[in-house]
Amino acid sequence: MKRQTSISGNLVQLCRFLRRKGFSLSAADESNALSALKLIPIKKESNFRMCLKSIFPKSKYQQERFDEYYNEFWFQLAKAVDSKVKKVPEKKQTPAQKKEAQFDSIKKWLNLEGSTEEKEIAAPSAIELLSKKHFEELSEEELRLMMQLLRKMAKKITHTKSRLRQKSKKQKTLDLKRTMQFNLRKGKDVQRFIFSENKNKKLKLVLLCDVSKSMDLYSRFFIHLIYAFQNSYDKISTFVFSTALHEVTEILNNHEFEQAFEMISDRVPQWSGGTSIGSCFQDFVKDFGYQKLDKKTVVLILSDGWDTGKPAVMKSAMQQIYKQTKKIIWLNPLAGNENFSPEALGLKTALPYVDVLASAHNLESLKLAMNQIGRRRSLQPNNQYLEMN
Amino acid sequence: MQLPSLDQIQGLLNKQGYISEEFIAMSLFLSMQLEKPLLIEGPAGVGKTEIAKVLAKILDTELIRLQCYEGLDSSHALYEWNYQHQLLYLKMLDESNTSLKEKEANIFSEKFLLKRPILDAISREKNVVLLIDEIDRADEEFESFLLEVLSDWQITIPEIGTYIAKSKPHIILTGNRTRELSEALRRRCLYLWIDYPSFEKELAIVQTKVPNIDQNLGKEICLFMKALREMRLEKTPGVSEAIDWATALVNMNIDHLDKKIVEDTLGVVLKDWQDMKHTQDSLDELLLKTGVSKKM
Repeated sequence: MKRQTSISGNLVQLCRFLRRKGFSLSAADESNALSALKLIPIKKESNFRMCLKSIFPKSKYQQERFDEYYNEFWFQLAKAVDSKVKKVPEKKQTPAQKKEAQFDSIKKWLNLEGSTEEKEIAAPSAIELLSKKHFEELSEEELRLMMQLLRKMAKKITHTKSRLRQKSKKQKTLDLKRTMQFNLRKGKDVQRFIFSENKNKKLKLVLLCDVSKSMDLYSRFFIHLIYAFQNSYDKISTFVFSTALHEVTEILNNHEFEQAFEMISDRVPQWSGGTSIGSCFQDFVKDFGYQKLDKKTVVLILSDGWDTGKPAVMKSAMQQIYKQTKKIIWLNPLAGNENFSPEALGLKTALPYVDVLASAHNLESLKLAMNQIGRRRSLQPNNQYLEMN
Repeated sequence: MQLPSLDQIQGLLNKQGYISEEFIAMSLFLSMQLEKPLLIEGPAGVGKTEIAKVLAKILDTELIRLQCYEGLDSSHALYEWNYQHQLLYLKMLDESNTSLKEKEANIFSEKFLLKRPILDAISREKNVVLLIDEIDRADEEFESFLLEVLSDWQITIPEIGTYIAKSKPHIILTGNRTRELSEALRRRCLYLWIDYPSFEKELAIVQTKVPNIDQNLGKEICLFMKALREMRLEKTPGVSEAIDWATALVNMNIDHLDKKIVEDTLGVVLKDWQDMKHTQDSLDELLLKTGVSKKM
């Protein structure tokens, strides 16, 4: 083992410091940095810094912050030289503040004017009228027609094909690779052909539906929506929540709509009660997260975001859901209002972790949001808010 | 082969017409010295792919490029057996009495192996530059194929065994951040983020790429691009658009910008109709920022 010189000692200290700032650095990175330092001409201080800068950061955010941390570290180190203790207090941008900053930029963007895009004028057909109509204003007959449309939509979204191939019984496309692999096991002759087709995309959906008092007007409709989805797709789990979380997947699967709706209202004692979104989400992550969430899952949250719990709880729950899923789509019926801004504290807290925030007050806006399901998560924040009207 | 030193790299990059910051040269230098792949991210059109091309030129070696897309799998990126060839070969051997074992040994030899870019790159005698372009477009599963190559320089082919690199290629991965790459991949690479260049750097790039450009025009173009990037556009134009635009204007023998010229040639810079409309609406303001309309 090498004797610890002050450079390698300081480097290890720097690594520890950076780890506390959220860098994920392994021992290999440290040794890489040390061997790299041997290679570069250290004529000037900036070479030293740049060398470390190209090794330690592993993402854009880290690269941008590196200089600041680097300076802070040496500053602290110089200060700590006398008092041997090299404990560096955590300060500046904590993850919370960082999210705050991100949120501010989104907020700024949201306050900008909507697009001035011209609307096409066409003679309204029945469906067209329907698609602009507020859900609260629907009559029973219209609702039935709406359900038909929804079911169609749900079917389309949940049945997309991947580019990856799999073995198929349909004798359409011959798969030479699989044919060879199969027949070589049997001997020299080709006895059987193997065909393949495109794999189905394995998308999983988790619906979290708010049924509290503030959502009373919409929750009936949303249950309708869930019902339509669940009927055309089996990899879906549904939860309703107000002050507590309930899984209703089975109920919706096994019963007619009216019956299911009644059962849910019965089983969920807090139906149309108050809301504690944060703690419900926390329960969801704790009890179902491991089982239901993965990178192929899209989480659809239907809520107005009025949370009576603590923002910190909401935040940590959303953070975990965000990390573990493909996408989070938040449908907020109030967002259809022209004067809407995400003021509700719960929604405000959750917003940095929401990929798409959309209104779901009429069919058209719903369609827009649904189209987002199959797409990938975009890392540009300005794609987060779907333009409505 | 002797690898160039840090200062040499900087010089060579400039010589090849790649105007770079010190930091880029440092990353390249370290990735070569430490034999680690370099992961480059940044917005479209800032010259990520160009780095790989220039690197190949500097090292006087071949560039092998793998363009990633959704659904890209190991048979297109690593290797595939030449099945038609194998089948024919088996038919040919039908009459002879070679044993099953021999046949198998023959059929799974390198002769029947189709080398796809990655296997190709590590089986060369000379170090090549391997560019894995737009890695974020490939599926997450594909990243896992790469891990073995990136850290151990080998590919495991079940029928043959492990194929160890004859030479270690210089690997450059690029991405546009359309999705987050996995921790595992990041850990194995050095990371470099390239942003839009500063005004001075962009001017230098334009002047290098379009040598016969009017001094003033170059400045105006770069100022205009800078102002354009500050707007909230769907597709922010990159450096390559600036170069295209400069080339176009020079070919049209234009030596200054005015409103009409900008309006007519905006299609070279912007590739989205909403952006075009938006820009046309605020063109006066933009030109004022650029300092063009003051002169008129």
